[in-house]
Amino acid sequence: MNTRWKPPAPLSTPGEALLALVAIKIELSRTQHRLAVERYESIRKHIERADSPLAALVVLFYPQGSMAIGATIRAKRREDGYDIDIVVELGLPPHMPPHQVLNLLYRAVKGDPGSRYHDCTERQSRCVTVHYADGMHLDLTPSVLLEADDPRRSHIFHSKPEASRIDDRHLVINSYAFVERFNAMTPVDHEFGRAYALQAQKMDPMLALMAADSEDVPAHSSEVGGKSATVVALQLLKRNRNITYAPRTGMRMPPSAMLAALALEITLPGRSVLDALDELSYHVLTRLLEAHRLRRLIDVRNPTCWEDRFTDRWPGTLSAQERYIGDLIAFRKQLARYRAPGLSLKEQGDLLTEMFGEHPGREAVRTYADEIAAAGHSGRARVTSTGGLILGTPASVAAAPAVPKHSFFGSTWKKP
Amino acid sequence: MKSLASQSAAMKERWPEFISFRGPAPGSTTWLGGLDGLGRRFLVSIQYGLPMPGDSSLFRCMPVVRVHSPRLVPNFRLKKDGPLPHVYFKADDLPLSPLCLFDPAVAPWTGDELIAETTVYWAIHWLVCYEGWEATGEWFGGGRHPSSAGQANV
Repeated sequence: MNTRWKPPAPLSTPGEALLALVAIKIELSRTQHRLAVERYESIRKHIERADSPLAALVVLFYPQGSMAIGATIRAKRREDGYDIDIVVELGLPPHMPPHQVLNLLYRAVKGDPGSRYHDCTERQSRCVTVHYADGMHLDLTPSVLLEADDPRRSHIFHSKPEASRIDDRHLVINSYAFVERFNAMTPVDHEFGRAYALQAQKMDPMLALMAADSEDVPAHSSEVGGKSATVVALQLLKRNRNITYAPRTGMRMPPSAMLAALALEITLPGRSVLDALDELSYHVLTRLLEAHRLRRLIDVRNPTCWEDRFTDRWPGTLSAQERYIGDLIAFRKQLARYRAPGLSLKEQGDLLTEMFGEHPGREAVRTYADEIAAAGHSGRARVTSTGGLILGTPASVAAAPAVPKHSFFGSTWKKP
Repeated sequence: MKSLASQSAAMKERWPEFISFRGPAPGSTTWLGGLDGLGRRFLVSIQYGLPMPGDSSLFRCMPVVRVHSPRLVPNFRLKKDGPLPHVYFKADDLPLSPLCLFDPAVAPWTGDELIAETTVYWAIHWLVCYEGWEATGEWFGGGRHPSSAGQANV
């Protein structure tokens, strides 16, 4: 018999709903997203101002990295803020010395003493960072297009100010094409995306009517009909990485771009968040172990531009690679415990806290407990034939009866 | 007022996995079966008997629902409302305290309702709220704990 596989109803089980809630808690709020878009526009205008060293030299200004694929997450600690990565494509010779290009952008952003960004601009080895008082920072990476026939295949520039100029390098990237491919291959899963967007809107209801004011930065997930389970799984895995590395001061983390590229290798529509996270963590672990068994470092490249190596600065050493292998093994054990049947909400909450941190874990449980209790009263939750309560989204459940109207009571506790 | 026979017939039809037996006293019935919380399945009992002169047992006034497994876990660190939420406290065995599923001041039990279509549903709702309470220390199901509620004979 040919049985057509049906994906699980989105967010209908507590385990799925809780994971999605954690993802919503850790992603940028609409407020933060709107602020990022405003700052993106402001800095673009600032760099292109008439008296800027780069006036008329900015060819294109586009987001890259997590912001461009909808996978930006908040930092673990408020003061750590979060990155917004932007590529500033310049009309300069592609083989211009790296330190000159970086210094040019640095001067253009920093501006004159007393100007807006003068005291919050920092020159890095590959980008210029603007730090905001609220913790957000914009990383502006200068690039120069290599070939007009190969759109957005570009040079970026590596130059540590304190190092010898001999160490300076030109690096080939095509983050634009990677973002295009990633977004094309991880379209919003219609049913899951709608449920996810609905939850995200509930978390930030005051801003429900607010629209993003830029065409260049992708809109917030609650405005574009949610996101794919692959992207949510990627956010969760990044969050686990951030939590794990937070106490490892000065240690470089596995790069987000590497995780995104590995997610792309196995993306499939119609999966639950839990399945997507399970498969992603397994795939990353497998790829790391394959390299490690051969005593090699993992090599992950941009599938749209082979010279663009996402692992050029991590792991760096076999011990760094082994450390993340250990982290992933531990994470997968936690995930297996989370998937096991018969866990109480408290046990699920404890595991979420272990995997993704105290605040999002506890808040997800609290939100879910509140929502399902209220749904029992309002009729939005339905009673299944086996004696359970389920939020009434799937059609098969919508026909089930609701809880008859009632009001809980209680007696007074007197200490014995 | 619905007869015990009609209550039993409705329970058998709507909740066939529940088993029933006579007792705990003449003219009463106990049903035993599984209901789902958010992650776990709980074994609950429902005792019910028609009013009988001279017998003030709680199950003669309303269906009495108790959770047997997994046992309810009192939390004595919570100051508000006692170590279990929305129960008629049974001091000698707290985890077996009957659940308070409806407010008699708002809608008292008349015996005209079917347990299968009211009490069981409310118990499911209670279990879901209990799981939330156990995880967070907060009761999200609403209701009230009167400061001077009469102590029931349980």
